[in-house]
Amino acid sequence: MEKDRKWLIVTFDSTTDAMRMEKEAKAAGLPGRIIPLPTQISAGCGLSWRADPDDKERLESFMKERGIDHSRLVIIDAPLRRR
Amino acid sequence: MKKTVDALGKVCPVPVIKAEQAAKELGGAGEVEVFVDNKTAVENLKKLAAQKGFEASSENMATGIYRVSLAVSEEAYQKLQQGEEEVAACEVAGAGEKKTVVVISSDRMGEGNDELGKVLIKGFIFAISEQEKLPDTMLFYNGGAKLTCNGSDSLEDIRSLEAAGVNVMTCGTCLNHYGLTEELAVGTVTNMYVIAETMTGADLIVKP
Repeated sequence: MEKDRKWLIVTFDSTTDAMRMEKEAKAAGLPGRIIPLPTQISAGCGLSWRADPDDKERLESFMKERGIDHSRLVIIDAPLRRR
Repeated sequence: MKKTVDALGKVCPVPVIKAEQAAKELGGAGEVEVFVDNKTAVENLKKLAAQKGFEASSENMATGIYRVSLAVSEEAYQKLQQGEEEVAACEVAGAGEKKTVVVISSDRMGEGNDELGKVLIKGFIFAISEQEKLPDTMLFYNGGAKLTCNGSDSLEDIRSLEAAGVNVMTCGTCLNHYGLTEELAVGTVTNMYVIAETMTGADLIVKP
């Protein structure tokens, strides 16, 4: 259902980190949302943060500032699951 | 000319064959009106219409009585006369098309950790919206009713599901109980009779 586009996916090593990211990013009004880890990526825990690739630096510095551990930042093509 | 076919109590392919026969006997442009007692017959008559170039319309006259009107143009009539005998389109109820109903009865998925459960249910609804085959209906009740209301993180996904043709229904009693009656943001309000009918009529119920 997703149109062709690119997404930034932030992966985490633990669900705790992913849930903390959601809580803090939402409170801070940061763009993006939590989604189940797309099947194209096999890393970290089953939750990830999805955002626009343009927001990459903003998110990175936010996570660094808050000390939110993450595993990787990956840019992938939608749709977010393996066909 | 108009012909009436009484196919009440008849199962496919009888209504379709009778309707086609009646159309052939019209003698020109006209209308065939068919009475049937099940939805499958209505759908099959519509398929016949699409195949033969008739204009079909249907109405539910009373419980278990449907009237299907087939408008046959001169052109469609002539084609019928020349056409070779074809096996009437016939489909057993739901064959090949499973009626899938997704039931969301809580605003969290699974038991153990509530915070995790809330993240999981959001992820589940997102993943449903990404499926190639979408469900026919999604029912939201009890704590699940919160997900179709303002403030829910799943609204965007549920709206896209609805836009793609999924019937989204939320339990009215539940909205009332949580004081959310004015907050419903997607889909329609339903009652327990419709919920029961939807669930008993489903081929597959998916409940996370």
